[in-house]
Amino acid sequence: MKKKEVRVITCIICPVGCKAKVTIENGKITKIEDLECPRGEEYVTREFEAPVRDFFTTVRIKGAMFPVLPVRTTQPIPKDKILDCISELADAVVDAPVKVGDVIAKNLLGLGADIVATRDLDRVGRIGQE
Amino acid sequence: MVKKEIDIAVIGGGAAGLAAAIKAKEKGIENVVILERNEELGGILPQCIHTGFGLRYFKENLTGPEYISRFIKKVEDLQIESKLDTMVLEITPDRKILAVNSIDGLLELQAKAIVLAMGCRERTRGALGIAGTRPAGILTAGTAQRLMDIEGYMPGAKIVILGSGDIGLIMARRFAMEGAKVEAVVEILPYASGLSRNVVQCLDDYNIPLLLEHTVTSIHDTDRVEAVTVAKVDANWRPIQETERTIKCDTLILSVGLIPENELSQTAGIVLDSATGGPIVNEYMETSVQGIFSCGNVVHVYDLVDHVTEAGELAGESAARYVLNELPPLHRKIILKAGDNVKSVVPQIIGGEEPVTLHLRVKKPMRNAKVKIGSLSIPKRAVRPPEMVVINLAEKTLEKLEKKKELEVGIEEETES
Repeated sequence: MKKKEVRVITCIICPVGCKAKVTIENGKITKIEDLECPRGEEYVTREFEAPVRDFFTTVRIKGAMFPVLPVRTTQPIPKDKILDCISELADAVVDAPVKVGDVIAKNLLGLGADIVATRDLDRVGRIGQE
Repeated sequence: MVKKEIDIAVIGGGAAGLAAAIKAKEKGIENVVILERNEELGGILPQCIHTGFGLRYFKENLTGPEYISRFIKKVEDLQIESKLDTMVLEITPDRKILAVNSIDGLLELQAKAIVLAMGCRERTRGALGIAGTRPAGILTAGTAQRLMDIEGYMPGAKIVILGSGDIGLIMARRFAMEGAKVEAVVEILPYASGLSRNVVQCLDDYNIPLLLEHTVTSIHDTDRVEAVTVAKVDANWRPIQETERTIKCDTLILSVGLIPENELSQTAGIVLDSATGGPIVNEYMETSVQGIFSCGNVVHVYDLVDHVTEAGELAGESAARYVLNELPPLHRKIILKAGDNVKSVVPQIIGGEEPVTLHLRVKKPMRNAKVKIGSLSIPKRAVRPPEMVVINLAEKTLEKLEKKKELEVGIEEETES
């Protein structure tokens, strides 16, 4: 028996925000409706087949003026891996100083993206902070 | 008291202020000083750890800290002086600045030009009048963001967010990512106030319910928030009592709008626009007080930092030209008034001779729209309140602009013929 499903995917390419009606049969898109332009078709297809997201969070840092350091991946990762990446980094601690772009973790979870710092944090030498 | 004479003072070291200071220095102004209240430069960007910044300005997808780092580095490279932890207390119409910090004590700067770049601040519970008690656990979205992403605290475990502005949506995702349960985002309007990109990637991705045409009618308990009551609203935004229900939560996050921070502008006697809450500016970003310029969220609230940077550069360049005596007064003044479906227009005064970029905030969404400036008509496929409408009036278009003392800027929906 054929498995048929209709899903609504909001296009985020432009402010119009078309809500595409996507018909899926046996795991493949067979029809996309209610879109106004071809850019939307491309987005909706990608969003259905392999949705990816930018990934960013914070990790603990020692010896800096703040206790956390913002980080990101060098490229988008599969949407369903975001919470795994969060867990993987939950216990990470780095030492100040850190410069923007410094690699904090290489090839996180084998996804092919590195975790890098998104700001500088200098070392501050306050007594008793460590 | 320390007294100093300087060329240009920039009040506020966020995206707008840094862009203004850099541009002024690059234009050859020696003595530019940034006065910043916080302990570091950057304004709000260091706490905006998500991506989406710089797509326009750098053609790159950056996080907030990455975006602003580039400007902070430039300020350092150009050896622009910045005074941190410095609170400006007063600005006079003749451009004296009274400020205080723990190094200089009381400080009086006489500037040849000033750029106001103080940004905006969030509306709080007091501005809304929500009934109930005053327990701990009620925070604005920006405060929650600072706590989580700069100071490393988790503000709560079960969250309700009031208002679907961009910061609220971004924080819904941050809470969900860090393991909190976001029970609902509650929005009084029939559509989300934030960018559609954020509705998809912050709410839909994490299955967070968006309750449109709903509001919070009461907050419960005394020590810590225990629950909130939400209700559907009618067309006049009045809660419908029969629809009331209680949602258990320990934290209520408010994302209910931003207000330009203009106490200092008022001490200088600068005329404000009641529609934007910011100074009325001309196409040079000059305020009603000569030699005082203004840019960024203190003028009107932007949705993209890239536009803030551009406005900062324009204000910085104008301030430099003013100091160098190279800023000619406008030959003619055309006052732009907000008309149909337009909440505000910036700049409010143009000359009509040099190319200029207009920023409009619309009241309600429209499809196949036409922006009308007097008799001039510019098509726009769609306009939405969260997304600022940008109109570039290039030379060719300006030729067609009526040169009246006052022009109305309105948006109408094109009727299919």
